Amino acid sequence: MNSLVATDLRVQLGAREVLRGATLAVQRGRFALLAGRNGAGKSTLLRALIGACRPVAGGVELEGRPIAAWPHRERARRVAFVPQSVDTPFEFTGGEIVRMGRYPHHGRDEDLAAADATAIANAIAAVDAAAFVHRPMPTLSGGEQRRIAVARALATEAPFLLLDEPTANLDLEHALQLVALLRRHTDAGGAVLVASHDLNLFAPHCDDVALLHDGRMHTVAPPLEALSPEHVRTVFGVTADAPTGPFPRAFRL
Amino acid sequence: MTARRVVGWLALTLVVLAVLYLGCSYEGPGIASLFVWCTGGLDEVEGYVFTGLRLPRLLVAACGGASLALAGAVMQATFRNPLASPDLVGTAAGAALGGACAIVLQIASLGLVVVPAASLLGALVVTGLVFVLARAHGRFATATLLLAGIALNTLVGALTSFVVTLSFDNYTASSNVLFWLMGGLESRTWEHAVITAAGLVVFGLAVVPRRRELDLLTLHDDTAHSLGVDAPRVRRWLVLCACGLTAATVSNTGGIAFVGLVVPHLARLLVGPAHRVLLPAAALLGAILMVGSDLVCRLTPPTWNLRLGVVTAFFGAPYFLFLLARNRRLEDS
Repeated sequence: MNSLVATDLRVQLGAREVLRGATLAVQRGRFALLAGRNGAGKSTLLRALIGACRPVAGGVELEGRPIAAWPHRERARRVAFVPQSVDTPFEFTGGEIVRMGRYPHHGRDEDLAAADATAIANAIAAVDAAAFVHRPMPTLSGGEQRRIAVARALATEAPFLLLDEPTANLDLEHALQLVALLRRHTDAGGAVLVASHDLNLFAPHCDDVALLHDGRMHTVAPPLEALSPEHVRTVFGVTADAPTGPFPRAFRL
Repeated sequence: MTARRVVGWLALTLVVLAVLYLGCSYEGPGIASLFVWCTGGLDEVEGYVFTGLRLPRLLVAACGGASLALAGAVMQATFRNPLASPDLVGTAAGAALGGACAIVLQIASLGLVVVPAASLLGALVVTGLVFVLARAHGRFATATLLLAGIALNTLVGALTSFVVTLSFDNYTASSNVLFWLMGGLESRTWEHAVITAAGLVVFGLAVVPRRRELDLLTLHDDTAHSLGVDAPRVRRWLVLCACGLTAATVSNTGGIAFVGLVVPHLARLLVGPAHRVLLPAAALLGAILMVGSDLVCRLTPPTWNLRLGVVTAFFGAPYFLFLLARNRRLEDS
C-alpha cells in the first residue's frame, strides 16, 4: 500500500508511443534511480507517475488507488515533483516559489499558518538557499533556480519525491548535498525516484536502479546488478568496466 | 511601501481622478458646478451633463479599463507569457468581429445584451483557435503565441472589414459599426455603463478566487499539476473569464489598444507578481489609465478629434521601451 506503482504503462505523445509497457514500483523507504538514453521515456514516466499524462494502456496506482481517482490536493500532499524546466517568466522571488509548495495544504483563501512557516524554513535550509531566497527567479543562476524548485517540492512535505534531472546545473558541493538530502528523506520513510544521467553520482547512494530502454523497463535491480557491463551495453550502447572496489565508496562505471 | 499600501494609494488616485474627470472638460460645466451639483443646487440641464453624460462615461472608462487590465493579467499568467493580452491573443479582434456582425445584421436593437453576447461569442471562438494553434506539449511558447495571434488577428481583421463593406448600402448600419470599431467613449449611456460594470463584476469576481492558482499556472503545467491544480480545467475557466471581461468592454468601447498588455506589467513593477495583490492593483491601474486617457481626450479641443486608443497607445509604447531597457539591465547584471 505504501507505494506508487506504474503497471505495464503505455503512453502516446502525438504519433509516437513513448512508453511501451513500463512497470515500476516506487516504494517508501527506498531510493531509486531511473536511467536510460535520451528519449527513452524517463520524463514521460515521471509525468505519468504524478498523473500529468493519461496512458493509453496500463495504469498508475498511489497507495492502492488509481492516481486519477485521487482528489488533486490530496494527491499533491503525497507526491511532489521537480521537473526539468524550473524557470518562470515572472519575477517571483525564490521565497514566493517555495511558499507555493504549501498550496496543497490549504483552501483557496486560507492564509499560511505557523506550521507552514516551519515547513518553508526547513525546505529553504535543506537546499542551502537562504542567501538568495529573496531574489527574483530570473536573476538566479540555473543551479540556484533548481535548488529553489527542490525546496518547493520539499515544502509540500510529501512522502513521495520524484525529481527529473535534479543535479543539472548544480555545482559539486550542492549536488552532493542534494544526494545526501534525498538519502535522508528515504531513511526517514519517504520514497525517492530520480531520473538522471549522472550514474556515478547517484548509483552509490540509491537502493535500486531502473533502466528504461526504448519505452520499456529493461531491468530494476540493486545498482551493482543493474549496471553490469551487459545491461550498460544493451541500454546505453557503450562498453564499460564493471563497477569495482568496496561499494559504494569506490563506485565507478 | 507594502503592496497593500500601494493598492490603497491607487484607489485614492482613482477617486481623485474621477472627481477631476467629472469636473473638468474643454466645454461645459466645470469643477465649481460639480460641487454645486453634489449639493443638489444645479438646474436640470446642467445637472444632466453630470448624471446623463459624464457619470456613465466615467463608469464605462473605469470599469472597461479595469476589465481589460484584469483580462491581460489573467492571460499572461494562464499562457505563461508576458506578451499575452486580449489584443495579441485575438480576443479583442474576435469581440469586435462578433459585435460588428450583430450591428450589421441589425439584431443589436433586439436587446441590450445582443452586442455583448455576440462579442463574447466572437472572443471565445478566436481565443479558442489561438489556444489550440499555439499550444505545443502543454506550453505556449512566445514565438508560437505571437505567430498564432498575428495570423488570427489578420484573418479576423479582414473578416471584420468584409462584414463592414457588406453593409455599405445601408448608411446607418455602416456608420454605426465604423464609429464603434474606431473605439472611444463618446455618447456612452447608463445602459453601456451597466453592461460594462456587470461584465467586470461577474467575470472579475469569478477570477479573484483563483488568484493562487494563477500564481501556480505561471510555473510549468506539470508543476502546477503536482501542486494540486487541475491546470487544463482552471486554464479553460480563466480564459473564459478573460474573454468575458474583454467582450463586455469591447462591445461598449470598441477597440482600445495597449491597456490589457501594459497595465499588468506596470502593476507587477509596483506590487510584484503575486496575483493576490496584482489583480486589484492591475484593475485599479487599468481604470486610472482609461479614465486619465479619456480625460486627456475631453480636455483637448473637439476639433482635434483625439481618440482614446491614440492616447492609451501614447502611454503604452514608451512604457515598453522602458521595459526593454530594464530587461537589458537585468541581463547585464
